[in-house]
Amino acid sequence: MRVSVISAERAVFEGEAEAVVAPAYDGLVGILPRHAPFMTLLGQGVVKITNTSLGGETIRLQVAGGFLQVAYNVVRIVARSAAPVAS
Amino acid sequence: MAKPRELKRRIRSVQNTKKITKTMELVSTSKLKRAQDRVVGARPYAQALAEVIAQLYSPELAERFPLLRQPGQTGRGKGVRRAALLLITSNRGLCGAFNANLIREARRRLEELEKQDAHTELHLVGKKGISYFKFTKRNIASQRVDIGDRPTLDHAAELAKPLMERFSNGDLDAVDVVFAKFNSAVSTPPTTLRILPVTPPEKRRSGGREAKAAVNYILKPSAEEILEQLLPLYVQNQFYRALVETAAAEHGARRTAMKNATDAGSDMLTILQRTFNRARQAQITQELAEIVGGAEALKG
Repeated sequence: MRVSVISAERAVFEGEAEAVVAPAYDGLVGILPRHAPFMTLLGQGVVKITNTSLGGETIRLQVAGGFLQVAYNVVRIVARSAAPVAS
Repeated sequence: MAKPRELKRRIRSVQNTKKITKTMELVSTSKLKRAQDRVVGARPYAQALAEVIAQLYSPELAERFPLLRQPGQTGRGKGVRRAALLLITSNRGLCGAFNANLIREARRRLEELEKQDAHTELHLVGKKGISYFKFTKRNIASQRVDIGDRPTLDHAAELAKPLMERFSNGDLDAVDVVFAKFNSAVSTPPTTLRILPVTPPEKRRSGGREAKAAVNYILKPSAEEILEQLLPLYVQNQFYRALVETAAAEHGARRTAMKNATDAGSDMLTILQRTFNRARQAQITQELAEIVGGAEALKG
């Protein structure tokens, strides 16, 4: 499924993924391919994107505020701020 | 005819000025590039927010959100009674008519609001606007000069917060922003945008998108609460967009102004150089004539 992470200043991540874990306002949500249409508020925390195009590597992004939207196998994370977590 | 030495001095002065304008042009070009990237980078976020708000928005919900309240719906008399106008200008000059255009647009808008009997307070960003309205002795509600070339979302939030609060409390009926819309580096018309009350963004009309809008989402916690969180973000983002676009437009305007100055300098140099050469040649001819004349007289 396609995943894009957009912060107020720029598009932070865009690509294919096989799993996404995101911090919703009341706890973590996991999104797998073909998830039902879903929209929720984001809290603060780390988004984990398991990425197929980079050989199963996991991308971690610190996000705060905004929302997450899933429809037609497209996950869109629109956060007030989003930045890669230093590994 | 002017003396060659004076001409030489002027040539040197024009040459130096030209070096400065040329450098400023180059600096603005590179700053413009970066500012432009920020304008483009901010677009997907604005679009995503607008789309979602359009999807969740319904007129029934609207009445419950103070940020969507249209003036005159509250029963406190019709129309806008108290408005706020935020004018964004640059801190620095040497950018042609850029600031003058923005100030003119702001004055036009102020007049318009005052004609509607709206008490309008003025909020200013940028030294140029501040010095103009200080000069006209108008009351300024707030002013700040610390937002430079690189406006951040935090700057926008600081601007948006007090205005949003006062709008929600009913202290204000409308908030307008005057900024330079960045269409391209050469087209940056001064624009007035009504930020509050929020005009719900329209749903996209193209076929594929409409199908998407009809999706039944699982909403957590609820459409109402999501909207409540996203509306302030949307307003904030509008402020942010205005700041970013104005910053980019400023560099575009400065680049054009400096390019014109450099070109004018080149033209002036050609003329001055030509006049100088002619004066020098005239002097040599005269000296020669004097020597020849003198020699003739000695022979005599």
